[in-house]
Amino acid sequence: MLFTFCQWLYDSDIGTAIRESIWIFPIIETIHVLSLALLVGTVALVDLRLLGLILKRQPVTNVTRQILPLTWCGFAVCIGSGLLLFWAEAAKMYANPAFRVKLVMLLLVGLNPLVFHTTIYRRVAAWNEDVITPFRARFAAFLSLTLWAGIVVAGRAIAYFH
Amino acid sequence: MSLLPVFQWLAHSALGVLMQESKWAFAIVEMVHLLALALLGGAVLIVDLGLLGLGLRRQPIGHIARELTPLFASSLVVMAVSGVVLLSEEALKCYYSPAFRAKMALLLLAVLFSITLHRSVIRSSITTQVNWKRRAAAVISLLLWLGVGLAGRAIGFL
Repeated sequence: MLFTFCQWLYDSDIGTAIRESIWIFPIIETIHVLSLALLVGTVALVDLRLLGLILKRQPVTNVTRQILPLTWCGFAVCIGSGLLLFWAEAAKMYANPAFRVKLVMLLLVGLNPLVFHTTIYRRVAAWNEDVITPFRARFAAFLSLTLWAGIVVAGRAIAYFH
Repeated sequence: MSLLPVFQWLAHSALGVLMQESKWAFAIVEMVHLLALALLGGAVLIVDLGLLGLGLRRQPIGHIARELTPLFASSLVVMAVSGVVLLSEEALKCYYSPAFRAKMALLLLAVLFSITLHRSVIRSSITTQVNWKRRAAAVISLLLWLGVGLAGRAIGFL
């Protein structure tokens, strides 16, 4: 069922056009890789602040409120370019183990901030200025860094399972 | 003077031979290179976008930049070291690759710019105001680092 859908995407005019063009696929892929800096780079900065490793003199909300809009821009570019790449390679991606691992980790990395923002971050006013934030905030940051690193590694590994 | 002998030496060094014979070493080192790219890119973006009045703009970017310097420097070192290891696997291919040559030239410019003009603009940025000097420094820096990234990705395509 899911595979039929992937095959249909793969065979569609747009999917075929992206895949067979000499330039379009590499250009989209380059955009996808470089938007990594905007998405993962900014996420990592927020996480490293929560861990008390960088920007120690900045209150936590100062960092999160100003940096997270940039993260969302990176997210939009990454998702958009990622969907186009998937469109072109859907039938091959379906069975690619690295791609499957990446999707699972993306799902998990989405759940993490959901939990973080509805729990410990609600009381951020109490620890906003702390260099070392509460354990649960640091744990969320650690999970986020690990998962995003895993996503980057799995994403790169997709090409090695082709 | 040609740099070819240096590249030949690297290709035949113990490191080069190890990389060429190993099946997974290149993939693993490449992933390290990519992870460091996220951190380096993040640090560069936060400072330059801050100079443009985007992102961290409520505090002087000079203060932010000083706090981010260790992250910037350490991720640059990780990228350089992993880059040399990657290079040792295919040193001769890279020597003749126009993308690799462009990347090295742009990298040199980007690093030089960041430790000279860019740095002096940042050091004097002790207000949150945006002016043409800060904008120019940010745009040049972003373009140079973007160029390094584009040329780097192109090594694999050309």
